[in-house]
Amino acid sequence: MGDFLVWVVWFLAAAGCLGSGLAVVTFRNPFFSALALIGNLGSLAVLFLLASAEFVAAAQVLVYAGAVMVMFLFVIAYLGDRGVVESPFSGGPSWLAWSAIVAATALLVEVVVVIGLTAGDGLADEATVERAFGSPAEIGRLFLTDHLLAFEITSIVLLVAAVGGVVLGSRTLEEEEGAARAGA
Amino acid sequence: MQGPDIAWYLVVAAFLFSIGAAGVLLRRSPLIVLLSLEIMLNAANLALISFARLHGDHDGQVFALAVMAVAASEVVVGLGLIVAVARRHIDLDVDRLRVLRG
Amino acid sequence: MTAGAWICLLAPLAGAVLITLLGGTISRRTAGWVSTLSVFAGFGGAVTAFVGLVDREADEREVVTSAWTWLGSGGFSVDLSLLVDPLSATMMLIVTGVGGLIILYSVGYMDGDDEERRYFAYMSLFVFSMLLLVQAGNFLLLLAGWGLVGLASYLLIGFWHQRPEAVAAAKKAFVMNAFGDATMALAFFVLIWQVGSLDFVAAFEGAGELSDTAVNLVALGLLGGAVAKSAQIPIHTWLPDAMEGPTPVSALIHAATMVTAGVYLIVRAHPIFELAPDVADLAAGLGTITLLVAGFVALVQVDIKRVIAYSTMSQIGYMFLGAGLGAYGNGMFHLMTHAFFKALLFMAAGLVIHHLAGEQDMRRMGGLRRAMPRTFLAFLIGALALAGMPPLSGFFSKDAILASALASGSYGQLLFVGGAIGALLTGIYTFRMLFIVFLGEPSPLVREHADGHGRREGPWTMTVPVALLAVLAVIGGWVQLAGIWHPFADWLDPIALEREHLALVEPTVTQDYVASAIAVGLGLVGIGIAWMFYGARARPVPRWSAVQTTLEHKLWFDELYDAIFYRPAVFLTRLLRRNVEEPLIGGSIQGVTLGAREAGGAVGEAQTGYLREYALAIAGAVAILVVVFVAVQ
Repeated sequence: MGDFLVWVVWFLAAAGCLGSGLAVVTFRNPFFSALALIGNLGSLAVLFLLASAEFVAAAQVLVYAGAVMVMFLFVIAYLGDRGVVESPFSGGPSWLAWSAIVAATALLVEVVVVIGLTAGDGLADEATVERAFGSPAEIGRLFLTDHLLAFEITSIVLLVAAVGGVVLGSRTLEEEEGAARAGA
Repeated sequence: MQGPDIAWYLVVAAFLFSIGAAGVLLRRSPLIVLLSLEIMLNAANLALISFARLHGDHDGQVFALAVMAVAASEVVVGLGLIVAVARRHIDLDVDRLRVLRG
Repeated sequence: MTAGAWICLLAPLAGAVLITLLGGTISRRTAGWVSTLSVFAGFGGAVTAFVGLVDREADEREVVTSAWTWLGSGGFSVDLSLLVDPLSATMMLIVTGVGGLIILYSVGYMDGDDEERRYFAYMSLFVFSMLLLVQAGNFLLLLAGWGLVGLASYLLIGFWHQRPEAVAAAKKAFVMNAFGDATMALAFFVLIWQVGSLDFVAAFEGAGELSDTAVNLVALGLLGGAVAKSAQIPIHTWLPDAMEGPTPVSALIHAATMVTAGVYLIVRAHPIFELAPDVADLAAGLGTITLLVAGFVALVQVDIKRVIAYSTMSQIGYMFLGAGLGAYGNGMFHLMTHAFFKALLFMAAGLVIHHLAGEQDMRRMGGLRRAMPRTFLAFLIGALALAGMPPLSGFFSKDAILASALASGSYGQLLFVGGAIGALLTGIYTFRMLFIVFLGEPSPLVREHADGHGRREGPWTMTVPVALLAVLAVIGGWVQLAGIWHPFADWLDPIALEREHLALVEPTVTQDYVASAIAVGLGLVGIGIAWMFYGARARPVPRWSAVQTTLEHKLWFDELYDAIFYRPAVFLTRLLRRNVEEPLIGGSIQGVTLGAREAGGAVGEAQTGYLREYALAIAGAVAILVVVFVAVQ
């Protein structure tokens, strides 16, 4: 019974994942695409949970879906009509669309084949893990001991991004004067 | 373990990746392109988590967290660029933004 | 004593370098004095070396002094070594002594020229090069000096580079000499290959072991170089053209020193020539032919310098005759006396040219005797010496050669006849020149220039050297009296490595007197003939038009060489340029650039600016690479 439940949950999550992914790519209005992406992130969080990555799942929901996507939605709201482009798939050379589909399919096939070839039967042997496998305590311990360098560098990357965001988003002096004159 | 084998997770990740790739290649709005990029990153994350579970090694999860942080930074910068472009009253169309031409 | 040799070699070089480095900071006159003093310093070094040699015993008069090993390759090595022996000491004295006097003369002659400093630098360079040639202790260093004198000659012939004739003459001299350089290099290759050394002593000893063919090849190669450098037939057409250079250049390079380098080479390499007697005979024969041809051509020349040039060619023919027959001492003796009287003649002619503001055509001259009496005297002395009149120097040396020819068997006697005819011709053309220029009524040109200079015939820098050379032309021959007293020949004996006396032939006293009598007699006849046609009561000169034209065209040698060498070469170069250079080489280079540009353009088309195309490219490439990686693994 428990196993069956796990299967059901897994299928629902996987379906939600793929479905929302398709939705992101096909909607015309970026607002709806962003909402679809939130759904995608949530489904992925469920999958993470099923794979014993509890902390990562929590981080996914809190940080990714919670903060990053909200930021996305803010920007989409700010852009309003400017974010909407006519006929999403047209434009550019016609061969572009077909070759894009071909390339994407090729990638898909290759990834599956490669993983199948290299890992093969090994994919069936999973390691047994204790219950605290993906817990925050474990991750935290690793971040502060084995992967300390990655931790520190990631923090620097975030700092750089924050500075970049401020710089990109700030108005130049002329723009401010122009806006002020326009407004006044 | 209960539920599907790791192979199933990897298949889902592969599909997600190609969907994201198709989105990057086919859509004209930079916002959607950015969102598709996020999908691709998440697909990679899923694969990492799956392998971590397979080998019983935490490294995959740590890596996935780092990817998440980097993705967040990249979204910040990308959105900043889009806002800057929009503020200069240029069409948000990837095909129009082609001044850097050979 | 070796210090003297080094000073002799390096002082002129130092002079040239100094003038070059100081450039415009010194006045033109100062450059002239620097050059003169550097060469006289060299003369001092030469005297020191000479005295040092004299102090020694006769068998020890051969000193080799080495600075360092110049190049070494496997078992073959060449040192920077100087050889001080009687032969080189004699040449050193002649080159620096006569050279110094001529450079002093140039200070006056070239006064006022814009590029005097360059001239004096070149002159010093030339003296250094010539000294390197004569002092070299091995063939390679000799070749270096050989090439450098060719360079200096080119630079000095073409000194007045605004004149296209001068530039053409310089090129002609250089190219024709290059032929001689090539044959010499081939001879050296054979020496290195067979003997393994280019050192004089080693090469001569090893030459005895060589096969006949090898020795003949080496001797032939050396002869080729000598013939080219000394302007003997067939490589002679450059010498008359070389008169485009300033007169002191003609005096120094094309009379006293450079053109005698060929004779020096034969005497220096005499062991090799003795092993190849056919080649030596060839040398003597070429010398005789040259002295006859040059004598005939000189009869119709109208340019005063060209008469003297052909005379030089002729006299060097005598030296080749002597050296080829083995009379090395006599050949060198004539080299020395010829340096004196030929330089004297050139410089006296230079005084005339200078007085007449650059005029060289004898037909416009005449009656210069009253305006320039002292020059006339100097010219007369030179002419008498050239014609071999006793007791001047030319008499002793030329007759010694003729006597040796008489003593050298039937071939030698045949050449003697040629030499005797040459003596007749010498008398004719030399005094023809003298009479036309100096005797008779002053020509309009002479009257024009009569008043400008007063009693002075030239600045002291020009007249003093001329006077000194005139004295030498008189007494220079008094170091040998045929058959009785020959200190000069004895002096040179030590350079013969294996035998007592250097000369291969020793004429008997009878032969000496017979030769002298015939030569002097014919010389006087020549002077008489010249007097008949060009003297006071000038009879009309008989003209056979065919002969006249041939002589005026210098026996058509220039036309011949033009047809054989120049035209085919030009044709070949034009052909090559049209069919090889432009399409292939130029085309390939152009093709490369055009191809690169088009490739760049084609590749540049990939940069469309479309973001999606770039992304597609990345995705496609990744897809392909994955397949490759999987397949390879």
